Amino acid sequence: MRKAKQSWELVEDFMNGIEDPVEHIYKVLDSINRWESMVNAYISLESPDILVEKAEEISRRIRRGERVGRLVGLIVSVKDNICTSFLPTTAASKILDPYIPPYDATVVERLLREDAIIVGKTNLDEFAMGSTTELSSFGPTRNPWDLDRVPGGSSGGSAASLSYGGADLSLGSDTGGSARLPAAYTATVGLKPTYGLVSRYGLIPYGNSLEQISPMARSVKDVALLLDIIGGFDPLDATSLNVDSLNTFNSIKADARDLKICILKEMVEGADSPIDSMFWKIIEKLESEGANIEYYSLPILSKALPTYYTIAFAEAASNLARYAGIFYPTKGSSSSWEEYIGESRFKGFGREVKRRIMLGVYALSEGYRDEYYVAATKVRRVIRDEIVKLTSKCIIASQVSPILPPRLGERIGDPLKLYYMDMYTVVANLAGVPALAQPIGFHEDLPIGIQWIGGPLEESKLISIGLLIEDITGLGGVIVD
Amino acid sequence: MIGLEIHVQMSEAGSKLFCDCKANYRGMKPNTNVCPVCLGLPGALPVVNKRSIELALLAAVAFKCNIPKYIVFTRKHYFYPDLPKNYQISMYEKAGGIPICRGGYVKYLDVNSWEWRECRIRRINIEEDPGRTVYEEGGIVRSPYALVDYNRSGVPLLEVITEPDINSPREARTLVEYILLTLEYLGITNPRLEGVFRVDANISIEGGERVEVKNIGSTMDIEKALNYEIMRQAMIINSGSKVERETRHWDAEKGVTRPLRHKEYEEEYLYFPDPDLPPILISEDMVTKAKEIVLGFDIAILYENILKLGVPRDIAWSIVTIKPSLDVYIKTVKLGADPLVAAKILGIDYKGELKERNMDLYEYNNWPPPETVYELVRLVVDKIYTYDTVKGLLIPKIAENPKVDVRSILPEKAENIEDIIDSVIREEEKAVKDYLSGKKQALNYLIGMVIRRVGKRAVDPRVIREALENKLSKLKSSM
Repeated sequence: MRKAKQSWELVEDFMNGIEDPVEHIYKVLDSINRWESMVNAYISLESPDILVEKAEEISRRIRRGERVGRLVGLIVSVKDNICTSFLPTTAASKILDPYIPPYDATVVERLLREDAIIVGKTNLDEFAMGSTTELSSFGPTRNPWDLDRVPGGSSGGSAASLSYGGADLSLGSDTGGSARLPAAYTATVGLKPTYGLVSRYGLIPYGNSLEQISPMARSVKDVALLLDIIGGFDPLDATSLNVDSLNTFNSIKADARDLKICILKEMVEGADSPIDSMFWKIIEKLESEGANIEYYSLPILSKALPTYYTIAFAEAASNLARYAGIFYPTKGSSSSWEEYIGESRFKGFGREVKRRIMLGVYALSEGYRDEYYVAATKVRRVIRDEIVKLTSKCIIASQVSPILPPRLGERIGDPLKLYYMDMYTVVANLAGVPALAQPIGFHEDLPIGIQWIGGPLEESKLISIGLLIEDITGLGGVIVD
Repeated sequence: MIGLEIHVQMSEAGSKLFCDCKANYRGMKPNTNVCPVCLGLPGALPVVNKRSIELALLAAVAFKCNIPKYIVFTRKHYFYPDLPKNYQISMYEKAGGIPICRGGYVKYLDVNSWEWRECRIRRINIEEDPGRTVYEEGGIVRSPYALVDYNRSGVPLLEVITEPDINSPREARTLVEYILLTLEYLGITNPRLEGVFRVDANISIEGGERVEVKNIGSTMDIEKALNYEIMRQAMIINSGSKVERETRHWDAEKGVTRPLRHKEYEEEYLYFPDPDLPPILISEDMVTKAKEIVLGFDIAILYENILKLGVPRDIAWSIVTIKPSLDVYIKTVKLGADPLVAAKILGIDYKGELKERNMDLYEYNNWPPPETVYELVRLVVDKIYTYDTVKGLLIPKIAENPKVDVRSILPEKAENIEDIIDSVIREEEKAVKDYLSGKKQALNYLIGMVIRRVGKRAVDPRVIREALENKLSKLKSSM
C-alpha cells in the first residue's frame, strides 16, 4: 500500500510545472501494463499513442499559459455503460459488442470540456446488473487488493482501475449501490448523487428512476472535484434537477462537535463482525470528539431490498426491450420476425440479465402489476418520505456491505445471496438522496468502508464529513502497491 | 354500434414529441429526420416538446374533457421493427398513467340531416408515432424484405378514443371530418397531409362480437370499411354462424377487410409510467389560455354566426369547412358587405372556380383579400353588374390572380346593349326567321353577332342570350 498524489493536487502541480502531464500519462500506462492482464478493469482502452499525444498537447497549452480546464491532464476512466462516440460502449453485454454510439453522454462532454483525458471504458456486470463485476461478457474484474476476490459491482472496473493506479478519477453508475459497494471493496471513494443532480443523458439505462452516474476517486476531495464538473442541470434529461452544479470542492472538513449522526438499526444489523467492529470504532471515535449520535429504527426498511429489486427489474425489462437485433450488433438468423428477435436476445443477453427481464415482465403483467410493481412504488414512497424526514435532522451512518469482498464465484451462483449484498445501499436510491462510501480500514488486507447518507442536495455535508473521516483514517489517496 | 380510435398527427407542433426533429417529415429522404432520441438509442432520453402539450390541451378543452392537474406518460410495450425502443411512449388511464383527457364529448353537425349530434369521448392520449415499414412488391405477406423509415418515429400523435355512440358508417365519417376540422382550426394538424391520420374502428352488430378494423386512412374509407364490415357481419349472422371477436385490417386498394389476429384476450402491454418523464403539470393558467383560444375557433359558433346573417346552412357550412374562405368571409362582412352575396361568392362560386382550376382551396394565397370580395359584392348590390356578370367574368380573373385590383379588370359597361340587340334582330332577318321557325342553333349565331358588335366591352353571354330570347319571343307572339 502506498499513497498517490490526489488529483486536485496533480492539477495544481501541472499548472505550477512541478509535474508534467506527459510523464503522468506514462506512469498511468505503466500501471495499466503491469496490472491489467491480472485485474481486467477495462473493456476497451484508448491507444497509448493518442493518450500521449493528448498529454503532450495539454502540456504545451499549459506551458504557453493558455486557458485550460479544471481537470487538465487528469486520466479518467469511464464505466462502459456511459456513451462515448470515440470508444465502443457495450454495457459489458454481448448484445452491444461492438457498438459505438453516435454521441457522447452529457457527463463525457463535461469531462472533455475540462481537458480530462479519457483513458478507457471500465468493466461492469452486464447492464450494471450485479454486485461483483463477475457477470460481464468480457470476463470478471478482480480486486487489486486480493486477486482471488471480486472488486464489488457493478462499477467494479472503475473501482479497480483507481485502486491500482490505472486512472486518477472514474465515472461509475449507481442504481442500488453499484458505485459504493466497489468503493468499499477497493478502499476508494464513491458518491451516489441526489437523483437528478447529474444528467443521465448517455447512461445506458438499467433502473432509470433509481440510478445516477457517480463520481469515484481515491480521495473525498477528488470525488468532490469530479462531482462539481458533472453535476448541474441538463436540458436533455427531463429528470435533471433545475440546479447549478454544487460547489462541493470547497467544502471544509467537518468539526465532530457539529455533527448529528443517526444510526438506523435496520442498516447496521447483520454485518460480518470485522465490518461491524470497525464501523463502531469510528462511531465511538466521533462520539468521543463530540459528535451527537442518535439511534432509530425504521421497520419499513426491511422491505427496501424487495422494493428495490421489483422496481429495478420492471424498469430493466422495459429498457432492454430495444435490443432486438435491428440497430445492435448481435443479430438473429431466422426469417420469422419473432424468432429472429428471440434468437438475438437469447444469444446476446447473459443469464442474470434474462432472469431480471423475466422477473420484471412478471412484475408488470396485467393481474400481477398491482401486487408487485404498483405495491413497490407505494412502499418506495413511504421509505423516501421517512428517509427525507430523518436526513433533515441528521446524517445517516451505516455500513456499505454486510460482507467482506467475496471470492470469485462465491456469490453469483445464488441470486438471493447476490442481491443481499446491496441491503444497505439501496435505501439511498429508493429515496433519491446522496450517499458517500469511503474506506475506514482493512481487515486482513481487505478494505472496509463506511456509508454516509444525507438529505437531497446535501452532497457538501457528505464531503465535509468524508474529509473528517479521511483525516482520522489517513486513507485518502491509497493505492495498491 | 360503432366506436372509433382516431390517431391524428400534431403536424403543426413544429418538432417531434420528445426531440428536436421535425414533426412534418414529408418530402425528406428516408432516415434523415432522426436523432438518438427518436431512434431510441441506449442512453438517449425523451424531453417533452411543450408545444405538443399545449396543442393537445386545446383539443381536450375543445372536446369538453375532464382535464387532470397533471399528466403522466406511460410506456406501452410491443415488439415491432418500426418501434425502435420496442415500447411506445403513450398514455394509459391505469397503472399510474394519466391521459390529457378523460370523459369529454364532441357535438358535431351531421350535414346529411343538418342536425347536431353528440358523441362521447372516452379518452385522449398523447403519444409518439412509430416509424414506417415499407414492404416492397408483394406487400406484407409476400415481400421478401421490409424497409423501415424512422423519419416518422416520435412525431406527436393525438389518440382520440370515442365511446360506441355512432350509429352508421356515414355518421362515423361525418364525426371524423368534424373532429379533423376542429383540430385544423385549432392549429393542431393539417388534415390534408399524406398519412396524417389513421382510424381504427370497433364495430358490432346485433348478435355478434366486437370486431376491430385497423388502418383506415381516409374519411371516405371510414364509410367504405364500415359498410363492408356491416355487410360481412350480417352475412355471417344470417347464415347462422357467429361473429367472433377479432382484429381486421382494411385493405383500401381492394376495398375489403382482412383478418389480422384473433383477439381472444387482451394484449399484454406491460404499461407503467415512463420513469424518464416526470409528471407534467397542467396549470390553471394553461387551461384558461386554452379556453380562450378554443372559444375563438369554435366551429359551431362560427357556423351559427353565419346562419344568423341569413345565409342558408349549406352555404354557411361550405364556408366554414374551408378555413381561408371563412377568414375572408368574416373580414368581408366586417367591411360592411352584404352577407348573403358575399357568402354566395365565397361559399359557392369562387370555391367552385378554384376546384375547376384544380387549385388548393386551403391555400390562403389562392383566396382574394376581403377588400376585393367587398368590391364584388358592391358591384352586385349597387346593380352595376349582375351577379352573373361578376360570376362569369370577374371571379375567373380573380382566381387567376387573387391579388389583382378589381378596378383593372372591370368589363366596360355595354350601355347600349339593348340597341345593339335590336339592330342585330333588324339586320339578321334570315337568322331570326330560322330561329322563329324552330332552328334553335340560329340563336348562337345571333349571340355571336351581338358579341362582335359589343366588341371588347365584354358582356356576359348569358345576359345576351337572355335578352335575345326575350325579344325574340315577344317578336314571335306579335307575329
